[in-house]
Amino acid sequence: MGAGVLSEEGQLRLKGASAFVSRTGGMGGPASLMLTMAGVGRVILAHGGDLISPDLNRQVLGSERGLETPRATQFADYLRSMNRFVTVEAIDHEPNDAEAMELAARSDIVLSCAPTFEERLRLNRVAAAARIPFIDAAQWGMMGTLMVLRAGSTACLQCVYPTQPPFEELFPVVGAISSAVGSLAALEAIKVLSGCGRVAWGQLLTLDGFQAQTAFVPLRRDPQCRCCSTMFNDVEFNDMEECV
Amino acid sequence: MKIRVSIMGRSYHMTDGLHEFIELDDPATLEEAVQRINQLMPEGQTLTGSCLVLLGGTHFGSLDNHDPISLSDGDELTLIAPVAGG
Repeated sequence: MGAGVLSEEGQLRLKGASAFVSRTGGMGGPASLMLTMAGVGRVILAHGGDLISPDLNRQVLGSERGLETPRATQFADYLRSMNRFVTVEAIDHEPNDAEAMELAARSDIVLSCAPTFEERLRLNRVAAAARIPFIDAAQWGMMGTLMVLRAGSTACLQCVYPTQPPFEELFPVVGAISSAVGSLAALEAIKVLSGCGRVAWGQLLTLDGFQAQTAFVPLRRDPQCRCCSTMFNDVEFNDMEECV
Repeated sequence: MKIRVSIMGRSYHMTDGLHEFIELDDPATLEEAVQRINQLMPEGQTLTGSCLVLLGGTHFGSLDNHDPISLSDGDELTLIAPVAGG
């Protein structure tokens, strides 16, 4: 097989890899489904609460049959039904700092698909501390964003959002865009974990479905970043930049 | 001078009435452009400080954390209001 495919070696690397996906709703659901179907060896899901009817416009791992029951366990069961060779772990709540750190420490990548910036920035911190890649998938209405980051060699999420943006309790979602962003997050993770393909390191992908526009934007690292600038010295930055 | 403005992300529907181009004195800073944009938005609505700033496709930080930015005629300014979703 030539370029443009997931090689056999790459598939074996996937089999030996672990991915931690926090929130498995509109974006994390499709992302974890694609990781499972691709054969990532261990997929760790974190999502609290019960499935409710309004979730079903985007949460592809759920169905009418699972309403009013915990999301994480039923989503994990569904993923196991899709690929018996994958180990799926379910965390039925939002991990706190210590738990997120422990989960990141035994993962090879973190996919952040959470509704709050507080949780996204926490996941960014633990990925940076564990020195593993971090993918941030987000959406609003028909707009999606994706960032593929590795603190120490690219900007981290705290560089991009030095001030925590305000929380929005209710937000519009078109499932088609959240699924698209989630699938693209999985694609980037598969490339990272398999070593196949060119990863969009350090870039922001904007996918504006409403205005039919897409763009890749290289993200600027903040030398004063409260997260990554305190974890990595300049020597490490320079060394790692050569790897990207 | 005229610059092209594009706003994306959360609540960008608030900018429906905003024209693609805005007029500014020459020279102008990013802050003056944002002040003009905020004037054109519905009453009580403003861009959040965590909006990402792109000028000509280059990321310059966020509205509340960026190096000084001077604007020139014909510049393309993109502001992305942060999205999270879930």
